[in-house]
Amino acid sequence: MFVFRLDTHSGVPPYLQLVQQVRQAVLLGFLQPGDRLPLIREVVEDLAINPNTVAKAYRQMEQENLVTGRPGQGTFVNEQQSAAMSASTYTSLRRGLATWLRRAYAAGLDEQAVNALFTSVHRQTRNEDVA
Amino acid sequence: MTATEFALRTDGVGKRYRRGWALRDCTLALPAGGVIALVGPNGAGKTTLLRLVVGLLAPSTGTVEVLGHDVTASTPQTLSRVGFLAQDHPLYKRFTVAEMLRFGRACNLRFDQGLAERRLAKLGIPLDRRAGTLSGGQQAQVALALALAKRPDLLVLDEPVASLDPLARHEFLQVLMGAVAEGGVTVLFSSHVVHELERVCDHLVVLNHGRVTLTGDIDTLLAEHRLLVGPRTATDLDRAGAVVEAVHSDRHTTLLVRDGAIPAAPGWQAQPVALEDLVLAYLRRPSEPSAAVTSGVAA
Amino acid sequence: MTWLIWRQHRTEVCVLGLLVGMFGIALLVLGTQAHDLCPGGPARCAGEAGINEACAASFRRLDEEYGYVENLLAGFYLVPVVIGAFLGAPLLARELEDGTWQLAWTQAVPRMRWLAAKLAALAGVTVTLTGMFTAVLTWFRQPFDAWEGRFQYDAFDLEGLVPVAYALFAFGVATAAGAILRRSLPAFGVAFGAFLAARMSVALLARPAYATPLTTMEPVPVGGSKDQAGHRPVPSFADWMIEHGYADATGRRLSWTEYYELEGAANRAGTNLNQFLHARGIQQFGVYHPADRFWTFQLIEAALFIAVAAILIGVVVWRVRRRMI
Repeated sequence: MFVFRLDTHSGVPPYLQLVQQVRQAVLLGFLQPGDRLPLIREVVEDLAINPNTVAKAYRQMEQENLVTGRPGQGTFVNEQQSAAMSASTYTSLRRGLATWLRRAYAAGLDEQAVNALFTSVHRQTRNEDVA
Repeated sequence: MTATEFALRTDGVGKRYRRGWALRDCTLALPAGGVIALVGPNGAGKTTLLRLVVGLLAPSTGTVEVLGHDVTASTPQTLSRVGFLAQDHPLYKRFTVAEMLRFGRACNLRFDQGLAERRLAKLGIPLDRRAGTLSGGQQAQVALALALAKRPDLLVLDEPVASLDPLARHEFLQVLMGAVAEGGVTVLFSSHVVHELERVCDHLVVLNHGRVTLTGDIDTLLAEHRLLVGPRTATDLDRAGAVVEAVHSDRHTTLLVRDGAIPAAPGWQAQPVALEDLVLAYLRRPSEPSAAVTSGVAA
Repeated sequence: MTWLIWRQHRTEVCVLGLLVGMFGIALLVLGTQAHDLCPGGPARCAGEAGINEACAASFRRLDEEYGYVENLLAGFYLVPVVIGAFLGAPLLARELEDGTWQLAWTQAVPRMRWLAAKLAALAGVTVTLTGMFTAVLTWFRQPFDAWEGRFQYDAFDLEGLVPVAYALFAFGVATAAGAILRRSLPAFGVAFGAFLAARMSVALLARPAYATPLTTMEPVPVGGSKDQAGHRPVPSFADWMIEHGYADATGRRLSWTEYYELEGAANRAGTNLNQFLHARGIQQFGVYHPADRFWTFQLIEAALFIAVAAILIGVVVWRVRRRMI
């Protein structure tokens, strides 16, 4: 049975954390199509989290076609279209990131500076999307 | 929303003691079906408000309507729809746990003895121990089991986890949220801790110095508020009361604004605000009588 | 609610019941023996102390063998306050100091019904325990009453209706003090203090005034305090003497100084005091309540204490109703 986690300090809303965990698990193969997600009540009792939050996360995942809810039976992971990341896209992203990292280290940044730079640009980019 | 979809409605409620007003001008409309947090520092009036809600106190001004009924006219039927867990979870300390359940059975119209026993068994709480010999966490669980066994439509809790260690707190919230998941019960609880509210609540009421300064659905509140960071400005920034808080440092200014009023000036960045920071900003505001911010639910 | 009231108060009820039982049985045992001392029963000897030799002998034996018990009876003055305050003080105060009032009044039993049930039950226990004990004590005192009358302070205050009224008064004070002070122990203390103050002031100041006392005024008899016909003198020992003294022929009361002067003059003259006084027309007067007023006075005093108890309980009910707790 898939187990959710909650990071209260991440700044990400709880329902979004649940959605992201399922997305990532599907991406990395930890959740296979046809797997049943835990019942809302089970997630609630495990994490001490508001049921509406879990319900909202499951609804969002249904909207994204990540999962399908079958009344009386549960919520099941969908077959993912290849619009989800293909192996080649995944590989090229990894290569691009490795190249960028080598350039950063060559420029004299240490690990902390690299993380700070990445987080700052990441946040800025997301805010530009939001604004 | 119709009247029965409100768990709680108050209109200008106030409570006066000899030493002054503990609560003033509280007008609230809280929806049924969710988890509502009443947040404020110690002495803000949270306990007073909750006692008014469950009928333990009579208001000096205003009216309180719970689940459609005026609270001052309490009958066994209206009383059985509301459960209350007071601060420090009082129990009859010399009663055994089984006798506490018997107390619940004797004094309530509906009482699900089996449900309470199953819950306590799952938590490993023996029925033949005197309540006073249990740990704080176990006493809180017994009090909660008692309140839930009467199957209330509204469950009111006064600082339920304030005196519990982290593990006991987690276990308490597990049981409480499980009860909400089973359906039918609205939960209203007070807390002076702002941390970890987003995890548990969908609705928020901020109380300070006896007045409501903020109330609304949490998602809506977070969507309506924004942090704006930009170069330090000395000019008056308050656009029609939209600025909640302005913090200045040497080089830049941070504004917490409502309704997403984003200045057109360049160099300003917008960020979402965390719930904890939002609540703290409203708690830091000096309280004025008509400054209450309400959002989310149209009364 | 019955189970709940019993469970919450069973310790006090059992302890008080045990004490009442113990003392009651002791009194029954001793009392049976004391009753047997009077030939034909104490009622036959009532008022005959100076007349019937057999009765007089019985009374002497009574005094010798059981006089110590009669002295110990004074401790039972406290029975009404112990019972009433032990049951009344924790009624509200314990719930308030433990915070369990928030538990008790948010179940499905309305506050007023809860309060009515508790007051009725615990007042009922107060009346029952005090009543039973008083009945035994009244029976025990029958031989002593035959000899001394029932108006004395160690008889009137322990017999009949008034102890139950005292207990209800103590119950009322303790409950009200508990509601206002919100602590059991101080409530108990207040009840004790109020009880002592009220009892002493009523017994000493108010009780003599429940009715207009009678006054006898007659010349000092030459031959002693009774005449030869065997007629019981008025006022007798069974009546309650409020005041007594001497007056001159016109009826003016003599001060004790004047009386001592006369006594001194009689001693110097070497004559019998009574003849000396009689010759001068000196009268002796007594202000008293006749013994048959016992039950009237009991009713008046009981009504007084019960009325105050009712007012105090009314205060408690009003406070709870108005949610001033």
